[in-house]
Amino acid sequence: MNVRIVCALIGKDLKLYFSNRLFAMLTVLGLVSYIVFYFLLPGTVDETLELALYAADMPPALEALLDKGEVRFYRSDSVDSLREAVEHGDVPAGYAFPDDLLTRLSRGEGVAVQLFISPVVPAEFVEMYEVILHEFAFAISGQGLNIDTTEIVLGPDMAGQQVAPRQRMLPMLTVFVLMVECVGLASLIATEVETGTIQALLVTPLTMVGLFAGKGVFGTLFAFAQVVLLIGITGGLVHQPLLILTALLFGAALVTGVAFLVASTGRDLMSVMGWGILGILLLVLPTFTVIVPGSASRWIKLIPSYYLVDTIYRTIGFGASWGDVAHNLVILLLYAAVFMALGVVVLKRKFR
Amino acid sequence: MAQPAIIAEDLAYAYGQLLAVDHISFDVAEGEILGFLGPNGAGKSTTVSMLTGQLRPQEGRATVLGTDVARHPKRVQAQIGICFEDTNLYEPMSGTENLQLFARLFGVRDFDAGALLKRVGLDGRGKDKVGGYSKGLKQRLMVARALVNEPRVLFLDEPTEGLDPTSARAIRNLILEEQGRGATVFLTTHDMHEADTLCQRVAFIDQGRIVALDTPHALKQRYGKRTVRAEVEGADGNLEVRELVLGRRETAAEIEALFRGEKVVTIHSEEATLEDIFIQLTGSPLV
Repeated sequence: MNVRIVCALIGKDLKLYFSNRLFAMLTVLGLVSYIVFYFLLPGTVDETLELALYAADMPPALEALLDKGEVRFYRSDSVDSLREAVEHGDVPAGYAFPDDLLTRLSRGEGVAVQLFISPVVPAEFVEMYEVILHEFAFAISGQGLNIDTTEIVLGPDMAGQQVAPRQRMLPMLTVFVLMVECVGLASLIATEVETGTIQALLVTPLTMVGLFAGKGVFGTLFAFAQVVLLIGITGGLVHQPLLILTALLFGAALVTGVAFLVASTGRDLMSVMGWGILGILLLVLPTFTVIVPGSASRWIKLIPSYYLVDTIYRTIGFGASWGDVAHNLVILLLYAAVFMALGVVVLKRKFR
Repeated sequence: MAQPAIIAEDLAYAYGQLLAVDHISFDVAEGEILGFLGPNGAGKSTTVSMLTGQLRPQEGRATVLGTDVARHPKRVQAQIGICFEDTNLYEPMSGTENLQLFARLFGVRDFDAGALLKRVGLDGRGKDKVGGYSKGLKQRLMVARALVNEPRVLFLDEPTEGLDPTSARAIRNLILEEQGRGATVFLTTHDMHEADTLCQRVAFIDQGRIVALDTPHALKQRYGKRTVRAEVEGADGNLEVRELVLGRRETAAEIEALFRGEKVVTIHSEEATLEDIFIQLTGSPLV
């Protein structure tokens, strides 16, 4: 393998990639828009529970309860204004106590409380609001339960350091950048096969090994450079930069292998785009485990990009170290090697 | 005696049940232009692919410049130039960039793309993207690309097909220039006139077999029907054609009788074309 030849191929591929207006635009505009999108997303998480309530006569025990805790209460002047606040989405839920609350309590009669809920509130949260109401009832009736709780967090204590929405989106944006480059590279290769330029290259001193080295280095470095830009600009390289760079490099090698496979299946740009979109959908799936934690089944770990997503998320979001994500990196590297090898074998047959 | 530049020994290749090249043998001397003629599907491209290391012969052996092609394809490819039948240039790149890329692949030092472009009549178009070239200009660039490494053997597959007369002539002149430089040329063509004027020898290939291989002159001598064709003025004033076969004992008397008895308007000796001979040998035209 000749370095001079590989460099010539990389220069040629770079020129061809940017001469394709579609992919040049997708690459540049995509990268810029992902970065803008990232910064438009909230950078912090406000987990204060908000509630509105209306009570004509506020019992002292309830008044005392409102002054403490993590729940932010809004007092409404009337049932109608409470209903309006919930309907407008100012608060997710609100309690309307009856005007004769204190009288009924003093008589020991039952009290009917209206709970107004916004339609966006999940069913689990509705139950929580009912539990809070029961807590109020205990407090108002002077029968508060004498229970002391000790919180023991098993695993990293995330109290007060919740992952911001923008950071939850970062793995998905990373996979998008990688996959756009993957489809671009696959299209580039398919076009070379279709136009016969690969044939012209292979009747020079360029060997098949040299050709794949050129394509592999170009694809990996080009994808790597883009995701490094994305992660770098969004501040992801502040902690454990070497670890993040390693994960991104393995991820870039993985999508280059996928690009080889996509290029071998597609005959023209349209079929490459078709297969490429299928690849994007598959590789993007694990990013939803970050956006909606706990939503994924176990099989999601069969998708190679899971190990890139998990590594990025845990390292940038929770400051994971080499030891924490070492197994992820090993699996990601193995996946990259397997996909690259498979891609080379299949594509080589097509070149011949 | 110098070793031939190209030696094909009992070459055979089959695509499944279809025997594309059927045990052919020939050689091409250094500095010679050999025309390789045959209809579509006759086995020309498969033969070229085996000679240039793109296909490994299933039987037989191909040697180019003393090197076994199947065993050392890259060693051979470093010394040859190939002009494909179908245009396969990088169209988003300029003519100069196309040539520079291949010069780098061949490891050519101090490559002068401008000079080569000028040789093929593309001076002033080097910076233009190839996608904007006409078919003729693209074909010239294809030939130029085959010349970047100053090859000792050139394989040209239909280099003038479909070109305007000016471009075709420019490429024929280049082929002759390359021969003058000492290069051996393996020329695949449908154009019998081109083969006749450029090639020292021509090989006819049909159904994977070489059915004739010799100089155009010798082939015409061997297979051609040599005649004299005369136009004479008939009794009603219209022109009539008389054809006399040469080489017979009575030909002289027949010609004398023709001039004595009729009013001869034109008279030409005629010899068979390569196409006539091809049809005679294979029973089908060269299409």
